[in-house]
Amino acid sequence: MKFARIAFATAAIPIILYSAASAQVSGCDICHAKSDFKRVLKSGRIQSLYVDQAMIDASVHTGKQCIDCHVDIAEIPHTTKPQPVNCGQCHYEGNTVGAPQRNIKQEYDESVHAQALLGGNTEAPTCQECHGSHQILSHEDPASRTAKMNIPRTCGKCHLEVFAQYQTSIHGVVLGKGNEDTPTCADCHSEHGVRSHEDPQSPIYATNVAQTCSHCHAAEGIVGKYGISSGQVDTYDDSFHGVAMRFGMRTVANCASCHGIHDIRADDDPASSVHVDNIPETCGKCHPGANANYAIGKIHIEAQNPDAGIVYFVASFFKWLTISTVCALILHIVLDLSRQIRNRRRDANH
Amino acid sequence: MTEETGKTGTADAQAIHQQLEKLLLDWIDISLSETRRKDLVEEVLREHREAISIDLEALTRRIRAEIETEARHREKQLQEEQEKKEEKGETGKEFVRFSLNMRIQHILLLSSCIVLILTGLPIKFHDTAWGVFMFDLMGGIQNSALLHRIGAVGLIAVGLYHALYTVAFAEGRKNFFKLIPGPKDAKDLLQMLKYFVGSTDEKPKFDRFSYVEKFDYWAVYWGIIIMVGSGLFLWFTEMVLRVFPKYVLDIAKEAHSDEALLATLAIIIWHFYNVHFNPHKFPMNKVWLTGKLSEEEMIEEHPLEYEEILREDERQRRESR
Repeated sequence: MKFARIAFATAAIPIILYSAASAQVSGCDICHAKSDFKRVLKSGRIQSLYVDQAMIDASVHTGKQCIDCHVDIAEIPHTTKPQPVNCGQCHYEGNTVGAPQRNIKQEYDESVHAQALLGGNTEAPTCQECHGSHQILSHEDPASRTAKMNIPRTCGKCHLEVFAQYQTSIHGVVLGKGNEDTPTCADCHSEHGVRSHEDPQSPIYATNVAQTCSHCHAAEGIVGKYGISSGQVDTYDDSFHGVAMRFGMRTVANCASCHGIHDIRADDDPASSVHVDNIPETCGKCHPGANANYAIGKIHIEAQNPDAGIVYFVASFFKWLTISTVCALILHIVLDLSRQIRNRRRDANH
Repeated sequence: MTEETGKTGTADAQAIHQQLEKLLLDWIDISLSETRRKDLVEEVLREHREAISIDLEALTRRIRAEIETEARHREKQLQEEQEKKEEKGETGKEFVRFSLNMRIQHILLLSSCIVLILTGLPIKFHDTAWGVFMFDLMGGIQNSALLHRIGAVGLIAVGLYHALYTVAFAEGRKNFFKLIPGPKDAKDLLQMLKYFVGSTDEKPKFDRFSYVEKFDYWAVYWGIIIMVGSGLFLWFTEMVLRVFPKYVLDIAKEAHSDEALLATLAIIIWHFYNVHFNPHKFPMNKVWLTGKLSEEEMIEEHPLEYEEILREDERQRRESR
């Protein structure tokens, strides 16, 4: 009998210690591991409270305890509903718990989503709306809600119309074919610090649009593969619209003014705003009375390039006229001065 | 002079003669002989006459001397001035080259061009540091565009006025005909090049306008036609596009941008050499302000015109005789 008591006590120690160490930890699964654990909300909807431990073990938060995120749970059973988790308690630059070293929460706080939330909009997304809660996967994981392929759908949960437009746009179609050489929402709007297009710091503010588009459309390595010219942004920057935009005119056209925003299509697509038949209407948005003449001539024209046709001819003519005229005039001056110098030397010697 | 003195003396002398005679008759013993009385009277008169005549003569001599001194002094001054001018090579005679009308046209032209160049070239060179600086200075493209159009209106006004002047004013017509290029200008250019390299020591002889000046004049014509034409197309984009296809505007933009650079270079290199940097003219040829050339400049730079003017003057002098 005495041996049994000692054996029991010995065996009990690690169990007790373990329980003490994970004080208030264990016990969540007593209720939440049950697949039919649920509650009925005031609206009548049934909310499942089942948490699949396997999902957590497969996510980036594997090994974490429930209370690592739900820090406000003090005892089991908890009498109050847990507050929405503040991801910023680990996700900041300088954290020691293995979260990415980025001030992501801070970026989010500056975004329109955070501002909307602060303004009382309960529909506004927090981390959980886009990343999930117990099943967060790295964006490199194709099953993740934040994988490039899935981003439009994630944002589209709220931004339905834009999502629909994007799906049929050239960028969306390319993505749908499994090609990642195309922008998704996060590429143009950024992912956490999403700002309004009226915010000068936004990548889609009027004066920043060309630069945002240039990330792909000025990169020969990206668009060159698809037969798209990588000079489009340069030709825009050198055009009247580009120069005017750079030096103070906000109302002048940028890429989106002509090409559209979420409904961008290839120029041979009859539904494209830059299809030759649609150009008068597109230009007519700013230029009253725009007619078919607006489409007769290259739009992204580079005069120094032979495929500018007659414009190239005119530009070349003037280039050679300038060079030859200036050279001839300078030659005349140099010869004049050389004779004057010789005259002076001759007079000085006499 | 002596005659005059004599004349004046005679009138006074007569009066004095009479007075004295009266006095003397009262005083002199009537027993004195007639002759003695006459002699006495004559003696007194002589004394007085001399006194009177000495004063007047002296005065006249003094005045004459002063006038002669002054005349000699002034003649000396004029001679010195003439000598100085001859040293410099000026004989003082001046020739009118540009009337006030022409000088004002030129000033309006250059002011418009300066405004156009300063507000326009930053657009062409918008990627350069100085281009960005100019935009900042002007306060952005909307301001520079407004200033550019003001300059454009100025240039168009001068251009139109000049066309009118060429037709409606006699001097405008005369100058225009003298500006038309001809075979002589090609010969002059060739001879000038030979002179520069030393094959000849004879500079070509120019009429009123040398080939350089004719080039400058027609280059401005070319420039204004292109700049104003293309400029108006760019200004009134929507109106132009109602009629012409887009590539016409693209051509206008190239022409406008490139000709602007060519014109600017021609002005700051060629024109500025001719009127500022050429050692003969340095620091500045003033004819654009005064309108006049000296005789020496005429002989040196426009000898054919100079000779014709002299011939014309000679003809007029002969006719007026």
